[in-house]
Amino acid sequence: MIAAWKRFADNMLGRGEATVTVPTFDGALKPNQQLETAQITASFDAPEDLASDGATVYVANGPTVLALDGASPREIRRFDRPITALCALPGDRLAVALDGREVRVFASASGADDGLAFVGGAMKAVNALNPGPGGTLLATDGSCAQPYGRWAHDLMEKGKTGRLLLLDLTTRQVREIAGGLAFAFGACAAGDDILVSESWRHRVLAVAPDGGKRAALDNLPAYPSRISPAASGGFWLTAFVARTQLVEFVLRENGYRRRMMKEIPPEFWIAPRLRSGRSFEEPMQGAHIKTMGVIKPWAPPRSYGLVIRLNAQGTPLYSLHSRVDGVNHGVVSAVEAKGALYVLAKGPGRVLRLPLAELEAEMSA
Amino acid sequence: MSENILELRKATKLYSGIAAIDGVDFELRRGEIHALVGENGAGKSTLTKVMAGVVSLTSGSMLVDAHPVSPKSPLEARHLGVAMVFQENSLVPTMTVAQNLFLGQERFYNRLRGIYIAAQQFLQSLNFDVSPTVAVGMLGAAKKQMVEIARAVLHQAKIIIFDEPTASLTPEEKKYFFDLVRDLKRRGVSIVFISHALEEALFLADRITVLRDGKHVVTDDAAKFDRARIVQAMVGRDLSNTLYGARKTKARPRGARVLTVQNLKLAPIVKNNSLSVFARQITGVFGLVGAGRTETFKIVAGVLKRDFVHGGEIFLGDKAVRFGVPEPAVRAGVAYITEDRKVEGFFETMSIARNIYMGLLAKFPRGRSLTSRAEADKAGETWITRLKVRSIGKDSKVVELSGGNQQKVVIAKSLVQDPNLIIFDEPTRGVDVGAIVEIHDLINRLADEGKAVVVISSYLPEVLALSDRILVCRQGKVVEEFSALDATEEKIMYAAIH
Repeated sequence: MIAAWKRFADNMLGRGEATVTVPTFDGALKPNQQLETAQITASFDAPEDLASDGATVYVANGPTVLALDGASPREIRRFDRPITALCALPGDRLAVALDGREVRVFASASGADDGLAFVGGAMKAVNALNPGPGGTLLATDGSCAQPYGRWAHDLMEKGKTGRLLLLDLTTRQVREIAGGLAFAFGACAAGDDILVSESWRHRVLAVAPDGGKRAALDNLPAYPSRISPAASGGFWLTAFVARTQLVEFVLRENGYRRRMMKEIPPEFWIAPRLRSGRSFEEPMQGAHIKTMGVIKPWAPPRSYGLVIRLNAQGTPLYSLHSRVDGVNHGVVSAVEAKGALYVLAKGPGRVLRLPLAELEAEMSA
Repeated sequence: MSENILELRKATKLYSGIAAIDGVDFELRRGEIHALVGENGAGKSTLTKVMAGVVSLTSGSMLVDAHPVSPKSPLEARHLGVAMVFQENSLVPTMTVAQNLFLGQERFYNRLRGIYIAAQQFLQSLNFDVSPTVAVGMLGAAKKQMVEIARAVLHQAKIIIFDEPTASLTPEEKKYFFDLVRDLKRRGVSIVFISHALEEALFLADRITVLRDGKHVVTDDAAKFDRARIVQAMVGRDLSNTLYGARKTKARPRGARVLTVQNLKLAPIVKNNSLSVFARQITGVFGLVGAGRTETFKIVAGVLKRDFVHGGEIFLGDKAVRFGVPEPAVRAGVAYITEDRKVEGFFETMSIARNIYMGLLAKFPRGRSLTSRAEADKAGETWITRLKVRSIGKDSKVVELSGGNQQKVVIAKSLVQDPNLIIFDEPTRGVDVGAIVEIHDLINRLADEGKAVVVISSYLPEVLALSDRILVCRQGKVVEEFSALDATEEKIMYAAIH
């Protein structure tokens, strides 16, 4: 009863969980045009994830894995289902998640073997893979309620069924390290802890070996996604879209949200997208307001491109942006290879390349 | 008729045996603009207070129109044609602008509507955008200053003394003020003005007098001075290279996020303001008067309350906070050092040590009810030494100190609380050049020690000299962020205006 009254008061006064506020992009998150001006290495129809062994960049594109080691992408593996996550393991091994429900580990990146299969553990939306401690594989299962492709549904239903899984490559056991996550999307080993992106709570958690959780990076102005290690220490954190007050407001208005989900096609929901501007029927937002023919770059975005450089403690150092007037939006993966940072902008289906030496020099100045 | 409208001969004023001014000769010519410059504690304010009848000379003489006079009160001085616009304004906050303007000129029967109309016309003639019906307490510092100036002009004084008239004015308002002063000069009014902005003295004055340690150093035509010569005369050493001159060549890297403000609202001043402040660096906040800078940080420090409904959020670290009063903010490690030190900064009749101890009391462990004189004395002595407060001793009353030293006491009062987030609001307003350098050194030291420091300033060179990152406010919110290395005066001003 008291909780109900508190909820009512919070809704009336706009406080507590009913607060419709969004942190600002400032400090290390100050917007720039780095992603928008980056070199476009390749374009794909349905790219999902990037992986790197330090020398070669692998791209998951629909059901195929391609290597970016020549003038044009080279197909190295093909599956019967779409790939939802990709990871290069030591010893030229490769791990892929198929349709979010199965993880396979192959002894070599290219070849015809069927690999080691991890099925079960009620995997539903495996969306990221990364090497774990002691020869294990880390996987994040975004949601136990919605399949991989329906992530927007999970957000609108305020899903909290994400999990961090540890796949033991020796015993073939799948162990849940942390559960009840509001869309787990990306994990990376950080010393004894494991960093996990919890997208709908806009934070990165550090999960201890005993399962204890603490926020390593909280209150982000964007929805965090996959994390990868940086060669010089620290991490690259991608964020697939920026938060807006409008979406926060819709998430607060339960009746409106339910009706929107019931009556309106998902592509026109007031919800974050990896790409926007395809149809005039999309929700009108500041981002789409043109003044003198120019889309206001400071307007709130429906889609956005963002990579955040973190130090070893998880503190943001700088960030790379494709702002609302750009197109390299929906950034879901960033990996290092051959002295460059490769970024996957899923919205336009592009892999971008930024030379690391120049980037570090420019952003650290 | 004498060439000089006002003269002081061998003017000496002692406070408790200490000379505030010592044998000063001063001449004010008819229709001239005379700038009075010097460090805080040099005796400028005392000299002008003697002219305005606020204090009397201990020895020496004063002549107006070649007649010896000795005004015992501001009213007597006003009858002699001398009016003063004070640095810390002397308006009645509960009365309206019009009532303040006509205070002391009331008739037996006063028609309020008539006063408002007369005040409106008068303010418009001065190009001052102030409503005559608003209570003065509701006005910002700049507009209060305008009312002060208007009052002096209204009294048709032959001599008007301005004490730091432009300290709280925006660039546009300063332009109006300069035009107004020139207009007064054309009407034959003689002007004395004290300013720490030396460029203003050089730009506006016909002659400049420099005081140091209560003594007259030099008086000469303004054309014969340059900035370096004035500073040399003021402090007896060359400071011009260190004061505001040096631009940053390297910004401190940011530490952890200490403060996050999200969509903060305090209608109609703060409008959905969002910003972050980081440890180990100085965040400069620039904006014109009325941009909502002070109000935003006063909400952070619990001095003001945000809007009750949908007022936004404040996070200290990762913890959401909402301070209704300053006490929990102080306990949480937030120190706000006010822009209006006289009203909000200290208890002027209490000693330096007691004032600093008041800061410590705010962080007293709960349950403790006894204060300790020894503890107060120790805190006083420690901070007087650390901040180099120039005074007779820890038991000196703060009111007896110069502006710069008063500011140091206000800063000490907050630093004694060992805060993590220190917000300086106009830290060098009304402070002399020597003290400015010392306060800047202190602010830099705090950031080097790992504190999160915010400096709100209307003076661009100060923002550029101190800040590692610069936030620009306009119309109630942060509109632009610059790295200290990218920022220029033009870029910042453009963001603040457009």
